[in-house]
Amino acid sequence: MSLLEGRGVSKTFGGVTALAAVDFQVREGEIYGLIGPNGAGKTTLMNVISGLIPRTAGDIRFAGRAIAGLPPHRIAALGIARTFQVVQPLQGLTVCENVAVGAIFAGRKPIGEALARAQEVLRRVELWPLRDSLATDITLGQQKKLELARALAMEPRLLLLDESMAGLNLQEVGVSMDLVRAIRDSGVTVIIIEHVMKAIMGICDRVHVLHAGRTITVGPPREVAEHEKVIEAYLGERYSARSGRDGAGVRP
Amino acid sequence: MNAVSLGAIYACLGLGFSLIYGVVNIINLAYGAYLMVGAYTTYWLFARFGLDPFLSVPVTAAVAFGLGYLMQRAIINRAMRVNIISAMILTYGFDLIAINLILVFWSADYQVITTAYSGRSLSLGGWANLPYTAIGILIACGILALLLNLFLNGTRTGIAIQAASLNPASARLVGIRIEGVYAMAFGVGSALAAAAGSLLATSFPVFPGVGDAFLGLVFVVTVLGGLGNVWGAVVGGLALAAIEMASVPLLGPSFQQLVAFSVFVAVLVLRPYGLVGRQFFAELK
Amino acid sequence: MANLLDLLRTPRGRRAALAAFALLLAAAPLALTGYWLRLLTNVFMLAIMAESVNLITGFTGYPALGNGVFFGVGAYALGVLMTHGGLVFWAGLPLAGLLCALYAFLLGFAVLRTKGHYFLMATLGVMEATREAIKNLDPLTGGDQGLFFPVTRFSPAQLNVYFFYVMFGTLILTVGTCWWVVRSRLGYAFRAIKASETAAGVLGINATLYKTVSWAISAFFTGLAGGIYGYWATFIEPPAVFDILLAVKFFVMMLLGGPGTIFGPVLGAFLLEISSTVIWGWFPRWQLAIIGGILILVILLIPNGVAEFLRRRLRHAGLGAPARQGAAG
Repeated sequence: MSLLEGRGVSKTFGGVTALAAVDFQVREGEIYGLIGPNGAGKTTLMNVISGLIPRTAGDIRFAGRAIAGLPPHRIAALGIARTFQVVQPLQGLTVCENVAVGAIFAGRKPIGEALARAQEVLRRVELWPLRDSLATDITLGQQKKLELARALAMEPRLLLLDESMAGLNLQEVGVSMDLVRAIRDSGVTVIIIEHVMKAIMGICDRVHVLHAGRTITVGPPREVAEHEKVIEAYLGERYSARSGRDGAGVRP
Repeated sequence: MNAVSLGAIYACLGLGFSLIYGVVNIINLAYGAYLMVGAYTTYWLFARFGLDPFLSVPVTAAVAFGLGYLMQRAIINRAMRVNIISAMILTYGFDLIAINLILVFWSADYQVITTAYSGRSLSLGGWANLPYTAIGILIACGILALLLNLFLNGTRTGIAIQAASLNPASARLVGIRIEGVYAMAFGVGSALAAAAGSLLATSFPVFPGVGDAFLGLVFVVTVLGGLGNVWGAVVGGLALAAIEMASVPLLGPSFQQLVAFSVFVAVLVLRPYGLVGRQFFAELK
Repeated sequence: MANLLDLLRTPRGRRAALAAFALLLAAAPLALTGYWLRLLTNVFMLAIMAESVNLITGFTGYPALGNGVFFGVGAYALGVLMTHGGLVFWAGLPLAGLLCALYAFLLGFAVLRTKGHYFLMATLGVMEATREAIKNLDPLTGGDQGLFFPVTRFSPAQLNVYFFYVMFGTLILTVGTCWWVVRSRLGYAFRAIKASETAAGVLGINATLYKTVSWAISAFFTGLAGGIYGYWATFIEPPAVFDILLAVKFFVMMLLGGPGTIFGPVLGAFLLEISSTVIWGWFPRWQLAIIGGILILVILLIPNGVAEFLRRRLRHAGLGAPARQGAAG
């Protein structure tokens, strides 16, 4: 059953086509990876889904309901949460207040309840000791966790993660992967944009590959890794031809 | 014809204000004060020494340049490190001091410059009368615009100013000393204001509120031309003069300002980069 | 002195000090002369406006330098309601405030689409345009000639006391409302919008609505101040109530006192107005220059506002709790 469905989603900025007739069906309970070389349109797609930018054409349905064209706060209230590639901590608010905001507005909870929920989430992501620090006083890695906590506090049905693992070391990536799996196991569907291939291969049920605004292929991680056009997109024609001859499958 | 010369003055004022805004990125509320420095210095030179107002323009411009350069270098630079709105309030403080000084030394009376040629016009065979002062203003503004262009495009400092306005960080990286550039821009902008003030004094009475009265219109000119877009200010100045002229027969003189400011707000909301511009970098929160 | 500092360190101590100060002020008419009462009334008026603009600027992040427009609209609204509508002061005043809120609400959908410098200039433009509009509504507003309010039947001494309490009461109402708003969902929304309107949106905040509400609330109280002023002064004309100097003054009081705090703007109003009036008393011809000089000094020396400055001093003296903006005191 598709939780999120997109048909013919296109976005042009002036003369530039960022997305060209992209289709996707994200099933409930899956971890859906979104990959592609830089400039492929991944973040644009995420921005369109979350309502930050309007699409030029196409339909998007969430749990059967048309959401393309709705303002971001309405989409958030329907149960879609997201993080940002460049973290946006709410300055002037403490870590706890930051996390509570989503619960107050998207989650429509009274302030007291929202703060309690925020504390719970902070414990889960191991930020609880910093709950009274100002959001701008913590490290970048902690701010990334804060982004995630903020989204989780909204109790979303769908979570969009935009390169939340960028800059993490190997061990931290592993921890992050476990966290995403745990989130999915608690009933949240996840779409994850990543360049860290270990994570994509390790946790995604299916992977959607974008290149220059178009879908190249969608499928389980192994298949996608060996797909000729995917290799071509990342490494160029030469490598894909070579991989075809070898038959061994060059991983991007 | 008076309207056109007024438009030229608006354009001149807009150039200076836009230069400061585009480069230093502050809304200079003391700009009106520099206009008054120009106007009152011209008046004083005329009343005391009989110096023709048009000839006093280089003098007032130089004085204003010096004051403006110092003001930016010594004082405003400090406030800017904190935040830009504070810097703006700082300029307002200077504006108040300037108005007070003028009030004390010259009183609140309207002062008028009457030269041999004031009020007299060049007649174009019954078709139109061009007041000599208006002609002078148009010529002077033209010269000023040319000089500014030469400066911005033909001198090292001028190019440094342009670089700084587009991307201060990069400008620093290539070795441009930003504080100096800011001070230059501020000085040149102030000089333009004073020059415009001097020209204003040839045809209009001066009084301590004249700076603020024109500052409002300068905002309109700058916005019409696009905040930060230096040459757009010329378009803005002419546009404002046109709007004022057009609204008089349609709605009556009392609606002039209302129309001007309503257009101002509309442009800010709908086309913040002005009637001519593309989006400029000056979009700070 | 050490005891006073200790007292100010606890939230309860601060509240007590505040209550004491408020009581002191309330008792002022018993001890002070007309001159001082009028001065304080003026301070209260400026404090109301500084506190109001703090909501949209300090908390929500939209610099409304032209918020003085609502002072003028409030004054004229009440004037028209009382002279043409026949309403009494107490009936007309809240209505005048509501009209200002409505004005802000309607304008907000357009004007709040701009940000930062653009918004600042737009509010100035709105102020100028509104002044001109009022001037042109002659039959209703008296245009350039100005508008006369119905005269009260009080003696001059009674007038001083009456308006002292009216303005004081309105100030308490304003501060109380702001305090309550900031602690509510509205407060969270405003602060989120100020921090990042984009992030606020994806967290479920309807930024357009909330920032408009913020502006409307600030307009309401500023309008009340304007209305009271009109009745107090008995006569208003466009340049007097749509005055850039006034608008900048209370904006700076907010900056001076500490944007994004609850009591900062009030503090700023007290400090700035009392000091400039006192100094003006010594140098009558130099009023503007003195205000200008004070502004310059303040900006250069205490860029983040007095409230922040005090807070840091109290903290260094050994409080320990981390700084929090807007939540308490």
